Amino acid sequence: MPELSYREAVRDALARAMREDDDVFIMGEDIAEMGGSMGVTQGLLDEFGAERVRNTPISEMAIVGAGIGAAMQGMRPVVEVMYQDFTTIAMEQIVNQAAKHRSMSGGQVKVPLTIRTQGGAGWSPGAQHAQQVEAWFVHVPGLKVVFASTPADVRGLLWSAIYDDNPVMFFEHRTLYGIKEEVSEELEPIPLGQARIHREGEDVTVIATGRLVHEAIAAAEEAEAEDVSVEVVDPRTLQPLDERTLVDSVCKTTRCVVAHEAVTRMGFGAEVAAVVQYGAFDYLDAPIERVGARFAPIPFAPVMEEYVVPHSNDVLAAIYRTVGRRRGE
Amino acid sequence: MASEVKLPRLGQGMESGTIVKWLVSEGDSVEKGDPLYELDTDKVTQEVEAEASGVLLKIAVSEGEVEVGRTIGVIGEEGEEVSAESGDPEGEKETGPAPPATEQARDEGAEQSAEKPAEAPSRAPERERGRAASATPKLEQEAREHGSGASADGGRVKASPLARRIARERSVDLASLSGTGPEGRVVAEDVERAAASAPAPVGTEAGGAPSGEVEVRQLSSVRRTIARRLTQAWQAPVFQIGMSADMARVVELRERLVERAGEGVRPTVTDVLTKACAVALVRHREVNAHFVDDAIHVYGTANVGIAVAIPEGLVVPVIGSCESRTIAGIAAARAELVERTRGGKLQRADLEGGTFTISNLGMYGVEQFTAVLNPPQVAILAIGAIEDRPVISDGELDVKQLMQLTLTCDHRAVDGATAAEFLGSVKAFLEEPGLML
Repeated sequence: MPELSYREAVRDALARAMREDDDVFIMGEDIAEMGGSMGVTQGLLDEFGAERVRNTPISEMAIVGAGIGAAMQGMRPVVEVMYQDFTTIAMEQIVNQAAKHRSMSGGQVKVPLTIRTQGGAGWSPGAQHAQQVEAWFVHVPGLKVVFASTPADVRGLLWSAIYDDNPVMFFEHRTLYGIKEEVSEELEPIPLGQARIHREGEDVTVIATGRLVHEAIAAAEEAEAEDVSVEVVDPRTLQPLDERTLVDSVCKTTRCVVAHEAVTRMGFGAEVAAVVQYGAFDYLDAPIERVGARFAPIPFAPVMEEYVVPHSNDVLAAIYRTVGRRRGE
Repeated sequence: MASEVKLPRLGQGMESGTIVKWLVSEGDSVEKGDPLYELDTDKVTQEVEAEASGVLLKIAVSEGEVEVGRTIGVIGEEGEEVSAESGDPEGEKETGPAPPATEQARDEGAEQSAEKPAEAPSRAPERERGRAASATPKLEQEAREHGSGASADGGRVKASPLARRIARERSVDLASLSGTGPEGRVVAEDVERAAASAPAPVGTEAGGAPSGEVEVRQLSSVRRTIARRLTQAWQAPVFQIGMSADMARVVELRERLVERAGEGVRPTVTDVLTKACAVALVRHREVNAHFVDDAIHVYGTANVGIAVAIPEGLVVPVIGSCESRTIAGIAAARAELVERTRGGKLQRADLEGGTFTISNLGMYGVEQFTAVLNPPQVAILAIGAIEDRPVISDGELDVKQLMQLTLTCDHRAVDGATAAEFLGSVKAFLEEPGLML
């Protein structure tokens, strides 16, 4: 079993899709010679040439718009928006065009476009490069939203995103590019809408996305040492959402923590909490706890940034709140 | 705002603890986290920390055993009025709903987790412990001060949805519980503990009363006696054996006896059966016995009880010395007893002295059943209906009038072989009544 970094896993999915299928091509800022500002697309220009690995002007609206056009013409483009903070500039194209064409044309037009983007805090990129905005897109009918947290997941999910006939917002996390995981020799597509149970537990379910999956696993291990058994579930696909797995897990454990790096207010966790309370109401033995960033622009200063965004100790404190305990008790 | 100090649950199954001594005197100021009092549980003695800062306004319970969740003291501001008087968990004031958890909660959580973990009490690791709601948390102090859990103040009891569901399913009154969850919330464990400690209802099925009007019938003395004696009977180690008897001859015999009876009492199949049993009983006296304490009283005469249904229940009038009565004599005695029974004129003597009992449900179409012993008698015979049955005899398919006999025996007095010999005799007498002579 080969071991791939998250970065290599993204690249592997892109390269395999491009080898398999001439309709797949990639576009974005500095993705060709430079290999992307995060190094994800390194080497792809050499293998696939400038026609299929295309540098673009610094215009997110143009990048996404061109991708939509190509997709409507039958291609399967994968465009990269360098930072998810910059999706704001392409919002019109994503929300009003990509998400709408299939419905407004009565199904005559499809937009099989994948919009890869990354971001997140943890390395002091400052307020305009550190946000987590995935929840915005979950609010838009017509879009699918993926947020992968491990190399195996990112590879299998990116493949499925590319071959999905709908526009997919595909979120990667900056601080996860270096993490490694064993992956299968053959790329096994992961269906969109299927959660992953990272760790089984009996007392509390932590439903986490992105970087917080890893923080949740760390918290779960700490809690385990104090005899609190924690189940960690990553929905992986935020839209469509694998509600059944989340609800079943909470029915089993009777307690739930939702955790993501984005701000808590109106975060994806709010939706998860709503889904869980509805599906597992009679099974809940404690209020659902939410873990997310404080309601503030992400500060540049490392200590301030660390203070604002959640870490494993925040998840752990929330776990303990659900079981009515304090750390060390 | 004063904050009540409640006895925390320090482990699953802990229901009370003993306060050894307070480490802070009334009127002294305390900081959150300061050792407040010494608590002795069945597992360990430990210092319990203050969960709020302020002045220890009152010590409600200075020492001794206290149930979990009870208010044992109050921490507040200097000069603040203290309302908690007896430390009764029911005596709490509900001042309003707790504010929803906000960013503040997370802030506190973050501070909490940054704290040096308190010294963990030495407890055996239990898988279930994590599930157990433990000591009241120090988190969300503000929220806690606004609410006080399972208030019986007329307000809504705070309970988790799971606790509510379990309470509903197991008929536990939430208002009667003292919650050990955050903010005094009743959590699942509280309900489960209450349900487990509640006395099991006698004679009713678990799972709550069925809906609708309930007619409560006080036990009549007959019913009470039946209940007592049958419960007593149920304690005996019994066994059953069964046989089928070809009743053609009995039916024939009865018809002739009925013809001869004229104006007198018309004998029934049961009367013939009573005679057959009586003759068999004196031949197999071990079955004609009482089991009394540690002795078996074996009788030489067969006083056969006949179970008779009456509106109030069941009585078993006894016909004495049936082995020496004619079938017509048995029929006459039986008719008189049944009439007295149905007329409510039975005397105590009519019910006493039985050495064996016959219970016949054949007239209701029951094919076979087992009867419950009639103590101290050691055997009872259950009789089913006479029905035409296909029977193979000598390789030929035949139709016979069969009746099923099921004998219940007290194994302390009667063994299987004895029972089989007795029942075999009864069967033989029924199939060939002349053998009774």
